[in-house]
Amino acid sequence: MDQQMRDHASAPSSTQAAMPPSVATGGPWTIETLARNGEVLQRQRVNTLPIRMGRAYDNDFIVDDDYAAPHHALVDAGPDGKLLLRDLGTRNGIVHNKRRVKELAMGGDTVVRMGHTTLRIRPASHPVPPELRDRTMHGWEGVVPGLAGILLTALCALLAAWLTDRNNLELQRYVQWPAAAIGVGLVWSGLWSFGNRLFGRRARLGRHYFIFGCGLATLLCVRLLATVVAYAWSLEWITGYASHAAVVTLAGMIYFHLATVTPQLRRRLRIVCAVLAVIVSILVLAGNQQQHGLMADELYMPVLLPPELRASPDAPVAEYINQVGAMKKEIDAERGGQ
Amino acid sequence: MKRAVIALLLSCFAAAAAPQANAPAASARSAQGGNTSPNPARPAVSPPPQMPAETPPAATPNSPIPGEVETQDALPQPSSAAQDLYESARGDLLQIRMLLKNGRTQSTVGSGFLVGTSNLALTNYHVVSQMALDPDVYTAEYIDTDGNTGPVELMAVDVLHDLAVVRVNRNGSGFFKVPEQAVKLRQGQPLYSLGNPLDLGFAISEGAYNGVLTRSFYDRLIFGGPINSGMSGGPSVTASGTVAGINVARRRDGESVSFLVPVAYAQELLRKVASQPAPPEDFNPLIGQQLLAHQSGMVDKLLEEPLTLKGMGPYLVPVRESGQVRCWGRSSVKRGAAFNTDAMSCVMQSAVFVSDSQQTGNVAMTHQYIRSGSMEPLRFAALASDLFKVENLGTGDARLTKPFCTERFVHTRTLPLRAVTCVRAYRNFEGLYNFTLLTASTDASQASLQSRLDVSGVSYENGLRVTRAFLGAFGRAGRR
Repeated sequence: MDQQMRDHASAPSSTQAAMPPSVATGGPWTIETLARNGEVLQRQRVNTLPIRMGRAYDNDFIVDDDYAAPHHALVDAGPDGKLLLRDLGTRNGIVHNKRRVKELAMGGDTVVRMGHTTLRIRPASHPVPPELRDRTMHGWEGVVPGLAGILLTALCALLAAWLTDRNNLELQRYVQWPAAAIGVGLVWSGLWSFGNRLFGRRARLGRHYFIFGCGLATLLCVRLLATVVAYAWSLEWITGYASHAAVVTLAGMIYFHLATVTPQLRRRLRIVCAVLAVIVSILVLAGNQQQHGLMADELYMPVLLPPELRASPDAPVAEYINQVGAMKKEIDAERGGQ
Repeated sequence: MKRAVIALLLSCFAAAAAPQANAPAASARSAQGGNTSPNPARPAVSPPPQMPAETPPAATPNSPIPGEVETQDALPQPSSAAQDLYESARGDLLQIRMLLKNGRTQSTVGSGFLVGTSNLALTNYHVVSQMALDPDVYTAEYIDTDGNTGPVELMAVDVLHDLAVVRVNRNGSGFFKVPEQAVKLRQGQPLYSLGNPLDLGFAISEGAYNGVLTRSFYDRLIFGGPINSGMSGGPSVTASGTVAGINVARRRDGESVSFLVPVAYAQELLRKVASQPAPPEDFNPLIGQQLLAHQSGMVDKLLEEPLTLKGMGPYLVPVRESGQVRCWGRSSVKRGAAFNTDAMSCVMQSAVFVSDSQQTGNVAMTHQYIRSGSMEPLRFAALASDLFKVENLGTGDARLTKPFCTERFVHTRTLPLRAVTCVRAYRNFEGLYNFTLLTASTDASQASLQSRLDVSGVSYENGLRVTRAFLGAFGRAGRR
C-alpha cells in the first residue's frame, strides 16, 4: 500500500525509464519534502545553484527539523552536469537507501533523508504523467445524493417496519424506525466521510450516504426476492444460503465506499473486497456447520407467503413420506460415524 | 516527586492485596460447607419421571422447591401401628447411593429393600440409572438403618416400569414379602411407605391406597400419602408386611398424591433375575430393547383407531383423545388485536425416564390457528413465517445426532400444506429416533394453521407411521 501511494504521488514508474538524466542546467529547481507515504508536504522553488540547506536562516532552503544541522548540506552542479548533494560534516548526515552517504548524485526521483526530513529535488524539466480521466460525476455530490440516500433508507425502514408490524399500524413505529435507520446511516456514512477527508481531500458525505441507502435497499430487495422465488418454485436452498447474497451486497457496498475514498485504486479494491466476501462466506458456512451441523443458515425454510405466490405443484403425502424414509440411511451413517 | 510516586505505588499494592487476603478465607468456608453436609436444597433423587407430564403444558405448576417447604412435613408423626411396623422392618430397609468412582462422592440417593430372606434388593430404575448407563463413571453402595455399608451390584432393570434389582452382601430377615400372586387391595386400605426421604434419615409414612392410575401408560397405584424424593425405591407395605408397591413418584402440584409401581412387575423382574445366569455386562443395549418394546406398544396404542378430527376455524386437525392422551386449549382472542390465535396441545402420558436429562417415548402434538381480518396478506405472511420458525429442535444435545430435515410442499385430500420433518437418532440406543413434524397450511392469505408433532424414542418405521397418519389427516371443511 505504501509503495503504491508513493508511485501515485510521484510519476508512474513506466515514465521514469524514458526520462532523460536530469541535468544541472534544468533550473529552476523544486525541493519537495515528503511524508512517509510519499505525499508532498511542502514545495519550495530555488532559482540558482548552489543551494544551501540547513536549519540556519542564512540557507536557501531552511530545513525545519531539530535533527538537521544549521548548515547541513549543499547542492551544486557536479562535473558531469548532474546535481550533487554534499554533506557539510554533520552529526546525523545524509541517508540514502538506508545508507549514510557523504556525497550523492541527485536524480529527479532520488529521495534522501537528513535528520527526520525526507526530500527530493526536481528540475523544471522533470516529466509528469498525463492527467487522469475524470470519471467522477461532479453533479452527483453533496446534498442531492445525500437526500436520495436518506429517502432510500427511510423507505427501506418503513417497509421493514410495516412487514414486521404485529399491531394495528401505530404511527409511533413508523416514525421511530425510519429515524433510527437514518441515524445509523448517518453514523456509518459519517465514519466513511471522515476517512475520505483523511485520505482524500473532501468528506463527500452525500456520496457515502447514497451508497449506504443503495446498499440497504439492495439488501432488502435481495432478501425479499430470494424469499418469493424460493417459495414460488419450491427452491428451499435459496433461503438457506441467502446470507451469502447479503455478504456479497455488503462487500459491494464497502467497495463503493472505498472507491469513493481512493478512486485511483479501483482494481486493487475490487480484489480486496472479493477476497473479503469469500472469507466471510466461508466463516458463515463454518459457523452454520458448527451450530446445527448444516452448511445452510437454517434447518428448513420457514417462509409462508400468500397462496397466489405459489407456482410449483404440491407433492402427494405418500411421496413426501418416501422422501422422509429415504433420509434414514443418512442418519444411520451419521450415528455410526461417531 | 519521588516520594509521591512511591506513596502512589504503595497504595496500589495495598489495594491489590486486600481482596487477595479475603479470598482464601472465603474459599475455605465454601469448601468446608461442601464437605460436612450435602446441600439440603437439592433433591436427593432427581424428580421422578411422570410428574411433569401430569401437569398441563400451558400452565406452570406452582410447586414448592423440594427441600424448602417439604422438609417440614417430611417426617410425619407415626401411629403406633406404624411404629411397630417400622421396628420390624428397619433391618431390611436400605438407602442406595450412587457414587462417582472418582472421589466416591454421592451423586444421587434413593431407597431400596431386601426381598424376603434373599440377598436381592428392589429399588427404582431411576435410582440406579447412572450406574446402568455409565458403569465406568458411577458405582453404588448401600447403607442400612444401623449405618453398615456395602457394595451394590446391578442385576436387572425394567426401564418402563421404573424398577431395578440389585444384589448386596447381606441377607434379608424375611420381613418384606413379595407375594407370588397380585395383592388384592381395597380403596382406603392403609399402606405404609418406607424409605429415606431427602437423605434425612429412615422414615415411615402412612397413607391410603386409592386405586389404579389409568391415565398413565403403565399401571400405577395411587397412594394417598407423602412420598418424598429419596424415598424412591422404598417399599409400600400393608400392615402385615406384604409389599403392595414400590415408591416411585409424587405429584408436585398436589398434596400427598403419590404413585407406586404395582408389585406384580417386581415379581416379573425377580423371576427374570432368577432365570438369568449372570447380570449383563452392559445395560445399554438392554435398555434400548426395552425402549423399543415401549415405543411399539405406544405407537400401536396411539394409532389403534383413526385419529379424531377436530375443527379449528375452517380446518380439520388430527388429535387423539383417550385415557392416555390429554389435550388442553388456549385462545388469545382480543378485541382490536391485529390477529388472533387459538392453540391446542395434546400430550400422551407415556414418557419413560432414561436418565436425569433424558426422557423418551412420548408423543406431543400442538395446533395453532392464526387468523387476521385486518392484516394485509404480505404482512400476515411475515407474521406466519415468523411463527413457523421453530428454534428449539434440540440441536446441541450430544446424546442425539444432529437433526436431518426434509421439507416439501404437500397436498392432502383437501388441504395444501408445507411440511417439514426433522429426525434425530439416539447415539446410545440403536434403532431409536426422535421425529418432529412441522406443518403449516398454505391455502389462505389471512389464516394459517401451524402444527407440530413430536414423537420421541420411536423406531424409524413407527416414526413414519405416525407422521403419515398425522399429516394425512389434515383437511379443510366446507369449500373445495
